Amino acid sequence: MAATSSSSSAGESTQANSKWLDAHYDPVANLYAFSSCVTLADLHGDGEYKLVVGDLGTSWHDMKLKVYRGTDLLSENALPDMPASVAAFLMEQHEPRTPAVAVASGPFVYVYKNLRPYFKFTLPPMEINPLEKDVWEQAKEDKIDPLSLKEMLEMIREKAEIPLSVRSLRFLALEPPEMGAFVNQYKMQPIKRQTVITCMATLKKNMADEDAISCLVIGMESNEILVLDPEAFTILARMTVPSVPTFLDVMGQFDVEYRMTVACRNGCVYIFRRDSKRPKYSIELSSQPVGLVRVQKNIVAACSDQTLQGYTQKGKKLWTVSLPATPMTMSLMEQKSRGFQAVLVALANMEVHMYQDKSLVTVIRTQDVVTSICYGCYGREDNTLVMTTKGGGLIIKILKRTAVFDRGDASTGVPTAQSIKLNVPKKTKLYVDQTLRERECSVAMYQVFQMELNRIRLQATRTYAQALESSLTPITETLQEPLKMNAVVQGIGPTFKLTLHLQTTSATRPAINLLISFLYDEGLYYMARPFFKAPMLVPGLNYPLETFVECLSDKGISDVIKVFVLREGESAPLLMAHINMPVSEGLAAA
Amino acid sequence: MGLFDKLAGWLGLKKKEVNVLCLGLDNSGKTTIINKLKPSNAQTQDIVPTIGFSIEKFKTSSLSFTVFDMSGQGRYRNLWEHYYKEGQAIIFVIDSSDKLRMVVAREELDTLLNHPDIKHRRIPVLFFANKMDLRDAVSSVKVCQLLSLESIKDKPWHICASNALKGEGLQEGVDWLQGQIQATKT
Repeated sequence: MAATSSSSSAGESTQANSKWLDAHYDPVANLYAFSSCVTLADLHGDGEYKLVVGDLGTSWHDMKLKVYRGTDLLSENALPDMPASVAAFLMEQHEPRTPAVAVASGPFVYVYKNLRPYFKFTLPPMEINPLEKDVWEQAKEDKIDPLSLKEMLEMIREKAEIPLSVRSLRFLALEPPEMGAFVNQYKMQPIKRQTVITCMATLKKNMADEDAISCLVIGMESNEILVLDPEAFTILARMTVPSVPTFLDVMGQFDVEYRMTVACRNGCVYIFRRDSKRPKYSIELSSQPVGLVRVQKNIVAACSDQTLQGYTQKGKKLWTVSLPATPMTMSLMEQKSRGFQAVLVALANMEVHMYQDKSLVTVIRTQDVVTSICYGCYGREDNTLVMTTKGGGLIIKILKRTAVFDRGDASTGVPTAQSIKLNVPKKTKLYVDQTLRERECSVAMYQVFQMELNRIRLQATRTYAQALESSLTPITETLQEPLKMNAVVQGIGPTFKLTLHLQTTSATRPAINLLISFLYDEGLYYMARPFFKAPMLVPGLNYPLETFVECLSDKGISDVIKVFVLREGESAPLLMAHINMPVSEGLAAA
Repeated sequence: MGLFDKLAGWLGLKKKEVNVLCLGLDNSGKTTIINKLKPSNAQTQDIVPTIGFSIEKFKTSSLSFTVFDMSGQGRYRNLWEHYYKEGQAIIFVIDSSDKLRMVVAREELDTLLNHPDIKHRRIPVLFFANKMDLRDAVSSVKVCQLLSLESIKDKPWHICASNALKGEGLQEGVDWLQGQIQATKT
C-alpha cells in the first residue's frame, strides 16, 4: 500500500503529459524473471486477469510460481527447478473456461490447474550410446573397476556420435577416491539421457477464438521442437532446427495452418510451416537475438549489437534501427480497441522504447533496468504494462484511456517528404529507344563522347592561348600590373559617350604611367582624344574615363573600336578590349 | 404546468425533479448502489454490467431523483461527457479494494472535473468509497488521499464509505446530496 501512494506522488510531475498512469511500483517485490516467465491470464474465469510469474529467485532453491492479483501476491507454489518458460493455455472445452498454467523447467512441463499441480509431462528420453550402456552393464556386474570404467567412458566420449549421458559425464568429472561410491550408488539404475526445455509457446488447436484450446509448443536443447496435444499430452508433431531454439513465436492453428518463427542460439531465425520438418525460410541476424516478436505479419528481432531489425514472414529484411543501448528484452504491445500494434524494447539504460515499425513512438523511463515486459489485460484494465526489474522490482503502468499514439511523435524515422510521390512523367517511346540504343552501343557512344570532349578542350586551350598572346582579355595576366577594365557605350548617336571603367586589382600597389589608345576606322568615327594618359590608379577605386565618339557615316553601319591600355615605353599592350559600337540612330533625324 | 400541478407543488405533494449522473469505473458498484436506493419492490436481484447507460428513478423525502447510471467500461466512458450538461449532481463510485486502478479513477475524475461543462459549475459531488466489506479495501480517508479530493475547492463534495450489497452508508450520502441540492435551489 505504501508503495502505491509513494509511486503516485513521485510520478505526479511527469504524469500530466505522459500517456501512462503509474499504477504500482514495488521496488522490493522480490520478482526475478525474464519475459518468457511472465504471463497474464484470467485464471479464475471471473474477468479479472492475474499476473503469473515464474520467479527465478536469488539462489538455487527458491524458485517459485507466483500469482499476483492487483497489487497483492495471491499465491505461491515452490518450483523444483529453474523455470524456462511460463504459459497459460486452455486445456479442454469444459465450462468454466479457466486456463491452466504450464511451467517448463528442466526436462519437464508442470501443468497447474486452479493453481494446484495437475500433471507433469516428461520429455521423451533420448537414444543412449550402446557402448556406454554395455560399459555400465559390466560395472553393474562388478566386472570392471571404476578406473577402467573411466578410461572406457573417456574413449567413448572422444569417438562416439551419440554423446554421453549426464551420469557418465558427472562420473568423469569426479576425483578417483569418490568414484567407487558413485558407481555403487547409481550402477543399479538404468541410464537415461534427457534434454531440457529452452522455450515454450502456445498454438491454438483448431479454432482462432480467444477461448479456444491450445497446444503447447516446446523448444529443446536437442535442436528439436515438439507440439503437444493439450488433453492427452501426446506428441503431435516434431521438427528439427539447425541450432538450439531460444525464442518461439507461433501463429495460426495446428489443425489448419500455422507458422512457427524460431530464433536460435546461432543468431539465425528459422520459419516453419505446417508439415515442414525442416525450416522453410531462414534469416541470418547480424548478432544474437535478445527477443523475437511478430507484429501482424512481420518479424521484429532485437539483437545484442544494439539493433532492432524487421523482416517479412518470408525472411526479407525490411529495416534496421540502431538502439541507444543494449536491449534487455522485448514484447508486443497491442491496443486492441484502436487496432494499434507496437514493439516494446527494454534497454540497459533504464528506458523502455516503443517502436511502431521503425519509428520510435514513445520512451518510458523506469526506475531500474527492466528484465521482463508483459503487456495486456491485467485486473480489469485492458492496456496494462507489467514489468519486472533487475533488482526484483515490479512496475505496473496503465495506458490512459485518451492516449493516442501516432507516428508524428517519432523523433527519428522516415521524414514525411520522403513518402510524397513525385509526378514522374511516363516513359516515352523516345526514351525507351534511347535507353535501348545506350545499352546496345555503349562503347561507341563512350568513344565518341570522349573524342568530342577532347576536341572541345583543345579548342578551349587554343583560344585561350591566342587570347593570351594578343592580350585580348579585359583582365591583364601580368602579375606586375593587375588591371581590370570594362567599357560602356551610352547614347543613340551620332555622338556616343564611351566610358572606360579602369581599376587595379592589386591590393597594395597603385598603377602609374598608363596610357590609353583607341584604334578605329577614321572614315567612320571621329574621336577628339584618341590617345591620352590615364591617371594614377589607386587600389580599390574604380576610375571612369569618359571620351566622346562621333559617328561620321549616315549609312547605318557600325564598326568595332579597339581600346588598348599601354605602359609607357612598351609597345605590347597590357590590356585590350573590343567595343562593338551601336548603329547611330540620331544622324538620320539630324 | 397545470393549475393542479402548481397547487400540488405549493402543498409539497409534488417533489422537485433532479438529474443525477452516476459515474465510476467498471465493477465499482454503480448499478448496485442505484438498485439499492430504489424502493424494495422495484429492486432487481441480479446485476449485470451496464451497457451504454440506463435511467433509473427514485424518490427521497423531498426530491425525485432521475439517475443516469453510466457504464464504467473503458469503451463507454467517452459517453459520460455528453450528459454532463444535464446533470445537477454527480455520484462518483470508487471500488476501494481495487488499489491498482485508483490511478485510473483519479484520472477519470480529473478529466471530469476539468470538463468545460463541469468546471465552472458549482455542482455537488458525492463519492462512495464502495466495497468496504472486502478484506483488502482501503478506508475512505485513504481513498480521499489517493484521489486527492482535498484539492477540489470550488465544488461541495462528500465521501461516504459504503457497502452497496447491504446498503450500508448509502442513505447518509443521499441525505447529504439532498441537502446540497435544496441549498442551491433556494
